[in-house]
Amino acid sequence: MTRISRLYERILAFGAGLMMFLVFAIIFVNSMRRYTTGRSLEWGEELPIYLMIYGVMFGIGLAYLNDRHIRFALVTDILPEAWTQKLFAATDIVTMVTGAALAWSGILFAMRRPHIDASGLIGSARALADSTGLAWLEWIGHVGTWQSAIAIGGVLLALAALIRFLTRLQEIRAGVQDQAA
Amino acid sequence: MSYAILLGGLLFGLPIAVSILAALLWFMATGEPPYNIRIVATEMFKGLNSFPLLAIPLFILAGELMNASGITHRIIAFAKILVGRFPAGLAHVNIWASVIFAGLSGSAVADTSAIGRVFIPEMEKNGYDRAFAAALTAASSVIGPIIPPSIPVIIYALIVSGVSVPVLFLAGVVPGLLLALFLSAYVALRVKVKETSAGSKQDGTSTRDALLGGVLPLLMPVFVVGSMLLGVVTPTEAASFAVAYALILGLFVYRKIKPSMLPRLFAHAMRDSAVILAIIAAVAAANWLLTYNRVPNMLTDWVIGNVDSKTMFLLAVIVLFLFVGLFFEGIAAMLVLVPILHPIAVSMGVDPVHFGILVIFNLMIGLITPPLGLCLFVAEGVANVGMSRIVRQIMPFFFVEVLVLLILTFVPATVTWLPHALGF
Amino acid sequence: QTIRFAHVDPADWQNSKKGAAAEIFKNIVEGETDLTVELFPAGALGNEDELVAQAQDGITQVVMVSGAMSKVCPAASVLDIPYTFPSAPVAWKVLDGDFGAALAEHCLEKTGLRTLAYGETGFRNFTNGVREIRTPADMKGLKFRVQPIPLYIEMVKGLGGEPTPIAWTELPNALTTGVVDGQENPVGVIYNNGLHKLQKYMTLDGHVYGADFLLISDEFFQSLSPAEQEVVQKAAIVAGNMGRSIQQFSTALGVNAVQAEGMQVYSPTAEELAQFRNAAQPAVKEWLAGELGDDAGWIDQLDKAVAAATE
Ligand code: NA
Ligand code: NA
Repeated sequence: MTRISRLYERILAFGAGLMMFLVFAIIFVNSMRRYTTGRSLEWGEELPIYLMIYGVMFGIGLAYLNDRHIRFALVTDILPEAWTQKLFAATDIVTMVTGAALAWSGILFAMRRPHIDASGLIGSARALADSTGLAWLEWIGHVGTWQSAIAIGGVLLALAALIRFLTRLQEIRAGVQDQAA
Repeated sequence: MSYAILLGGLLFGLPIAVSILAALLWFMATGEPPYNIRIVATEMFKGLNSFPLLAIPLFILAGELMNASGITHRIIAFAKILVGRFPAGLAHVNIWASVIFAGLSGSAVADTSAIGRVFIPEMEKNGYDRAFAAALTAASSVIGPIIPPSIPVIIYALIVSGVSVPVLFLAGVVPGLLLALFLSAYVALRVKVKETSAGSKQDGTSTRDALLGGVLPLLMPVFVVGSMLLGVVTPTEAASFAVAYALILGLFVYRKIKPSMLPRLFAHAMRDSAVILAIIAAVAAANWLLTYNRVPNMLTDWVIGNVDSKTMFLLAVIVLFLFVGLFFEGIAAMLVLVPILHPIAVSMGVDPVHFGILVIFNLMIGLITPPLGLCLFVAEGVANVGMSRIVRQIMPFFFVEVLVLLILTFVPATVTWLPHALGF
Repeated sequence: QTIRFAHVDPADWQNSKKGAAAEIFKNIVEGETDLTVELFPAGALGNEDELVAQAQDGITQVVMVSGAMSKVCPAASVLDIPYTFPSAPVAWKVLDGDFGAALAEHCLEKTGLRTLAYGETGFRNFTNGVREIRTPADMKGLKFRVQPIPLYIEMVKGLGGEPTPIAWTELPNALTTGVVDGQENPVGVIYNNGLHKLQKYMTLDGHVYGADFLLISDEFFQSLSPAEQEVVQKAAIVAGNMGRSIQQFSTALGVNAVQAEGMQVYSPTAEELAQFRNAAQPAVKEWLAGELGDDAGWIDQLDKAVAAATE
C-alpha cells in the first residue's frame, strides 16, 4: 500500500509542479515581453488561469495525501489515539464520497456546451491545429477542455482519500497485531 | 441535512474545503430544480477563473524558494544586529525577524514554521519557557500578512472592487510595524529572562556579513511593492518577478538551491496554494447560493436598520470577526463576510482601505486563538509542549493585538496616512 | 412566481443603462402582475457568459447581456461589423423592425433564449495619446489595445493600426507606460474609468454599435399566463428603451465632460467615415463569413435592413 501511495504522490506532485512551473513561466515571459517589445501573447492571460485550475486539482489530492488541508483539530485532539484513527478513517470515506460527487458534478459541468470558444485561446488553437495538421489540438481553444478540470479534481481527491483509507486500515491492523504480540 | 453535514464535517476534522463541498453537493443533488449538482462545479470553476488570483500561487512559490535558500538564518542574523543587544534580546529578535520575514512572505503560517523551527529550541536553550517561545513565535508571525506582500490583501482586493492591491499593501505597513512595537514593548516590560549564552555571537557570522545577508532579501519587498506602486506591473506580474528574484538568489547568490530541488519546490508551492484555493472555490460556490437567495441583501438591510453609528458598526464588526476567528479560517471568513459588510461600511462613511486593513488584521488575530488557530497548530507542531500550555502563554499577546486593533480602528490615520502621504 | 433578473452593470438607475432597464422592468411587472422580480446587478450571479448559461439552464430567468449573446448565437455577431450603423436611431429602427425580430427568432431556436427587447451599450470610439485621427491614414503604426476578440483584431488591422490584446484590468498601466498608444470603448466607459486623463485625442468614429439583449428563458416564458406574458413583453420593451435613453444621456454628458477636462474630440465627416468603412469592413466581413458558415447570410440581410432604414 505504501508503494502505491508513494507512486500516486509522485504523479500528483508532478502534475502540480508542472502546472506551477508553466504558470510562472508564461506570466513571467509574457510580462517581460510586454515591457521590452510592447507585445503580449494573445493567450498569455487565459491559459495560465486554466493551468492554475488544473494545478489546484492536482494540489488538492496531493495536500490530502500529505495531510496538509486546513481542518479543526478540536475533537481529534481530545479523543484517545485509537479513536482518532477510526475517526480519520471515517473522514477518508466521507472525502472519497465527496470527491466522487464532485467528479459527477464536474462531468455534468464539462459536458454542458463544451464547444464554446475560449476567446483568448481559440485563435492560437486553430492556428496550431492547422499548422500541425492535428485537428484535435483545436480543443485547446474550447472551454470544455478546461472545464473538465473540476471533474478530474474530484477523481484525484477521491483516489487520494481511498489510498489514505487503505493505508490507515493497514496501520490499524498492524497496531492491533502489535498489541496482541 | 446540509447544515448537519457542514457542522459535522467541520467538527470531526474533515478538511474545511471538503466539509463545505460535501454540504453543497448534497444540497444541490437533492434540491428541487433549478438546483442541480452541476452548479457546484460551475461555480467552483468560476471562483477560480480569475487572473489576479494567480498572484497567490506565485507569492507562495516565492516564499517557498526564499525559505529553501536558507534565508531564515540570514534574517535572524540581521534581526540580531538590530535588537539582539537588549535584555530578553532573543524575544525581540523573534518579533523583528517576523517583521523582515513579513516582507518576503504573504502568509503567517509560513513565518511560524520557518522562524519557530530555529527560535523555539534556541530560546529554550537560553532559559525561556518552551511554551512561551512557541506562543511568541505564533503571535509575532501575525505580522506576516499585515506587512506586504500579503495573500489576504490580494483576496480582499478581489472581493471588493475599487480597492487596489498596491494601496492596501502600503496601508498595511504602519499597522504591521505598530504591532511589532507593541509586542516588543510588552516583552520589554514583562519578560525577565537572563539569557544564558550570548546567542547573538555564537554562530560566528560577522556583523558585516549579517548586514549584507539581510539586505538582499529585504530588497525584494521594496522592489515588488515599488514596481506595483509605480504602476509598472500588476500584482500578478510583480509576484512572478518575486519568484524570479528568489530563484536567482537561491540558485546563484546563496547557492542553497540546486536545480534538482526545483520540481519538489514547485510541487509544494502548488500543493500549499491548492489548500487556500480549494477553500476559495468551495466558498465561491456557497456564496453563489447565498446570493441567489438574497441572504446578503437581507443581512445588509438588518444591519442598516439596527446599527446607526459608525463607531457602533466598527465595534460590532470587531467583535463579530474576533468571534468568527475563533472557529473559522481567516480567508474563508473573509470570502463569506466581506461581500456583505463592505457595502455597509462604505455606506456608513468608513474609508474602504481602512476597513480592509481592519478586517484583515482582525482575522489574522484569529490565527492565534483556539480552537482553530492555524499559527497555534503550527507552533505546537514545532514545540510539542501541548496546546493548552501554549494557549495560556498566548493570552497576553492576544490582548496586546486587540489593543493595537482598537488603536487602528479609532485612529484611522495609522492606516490611511502612508498611502495618502505617497499620493494614493 | 419569482423572476430573477441579472446583469453585470451597477444598480443605480441614473447612470447605469442596465441598472435603469432592470429597475423599470421590475416596477412594471410587479405593478401589473402577481410576479415578483428580484434584481441581481453588478455581476452578483456571474459574468455575462455565466448569466447566459444560467438563463439557458433556467436557473436565472431574465438576463440583460451584450457581447455574450454572439457566443451562443453566432449570427448576432453581424451587429458588430464595424461602421454598419450610421447612427443610433438607425440601429433602433433596424433592431426594432423585421431584422431584429428575425434575428430574435433565429437565436431563440438556437439557444432557447427569447430576446424580449434590445437595449444598447453604445457606439465604441478610438482614443490615443499620439495624434488626432481624422482618417484611417492617421492610425498607421499606432498600437491599440483591443479585447482578445478576433473581430476587433481584424478591424484594427484593416484600419492600419496594430491591435494589442491586453486585459481590461491592465489597460491603465499599459496606457501610462506606453505599451499601447490607444484603446477603443464607448464614451461612458472612457469617462467613468478616467481613461480620458491618460489619453489626449478621441475620434467619434463609432466603429462598433454595441447592442444589449434582454433575454428570458423561453421555457419560463411559456410557463407564464398569456396576460403575464403580455406585461413581461411590454415591460421589456420599455426597459430596452430606458436603457438606450440612459446610455445616450451618459454619452452626451461624457463627450462634454472629457472636453472640459482637456481631451480633444474629433467628429469625422461623412466622407471620412466612408474611408473608415472601406478600410475596415471588407477584412472583417470576409473573416466573419468564414466563421459563420451557414449563418453568413445574416451579413447581407443586415446590410439590406440598414439601407432600408437609412432611406
Ligand atoms: Na507579508
Ligand atoms: Na482561530
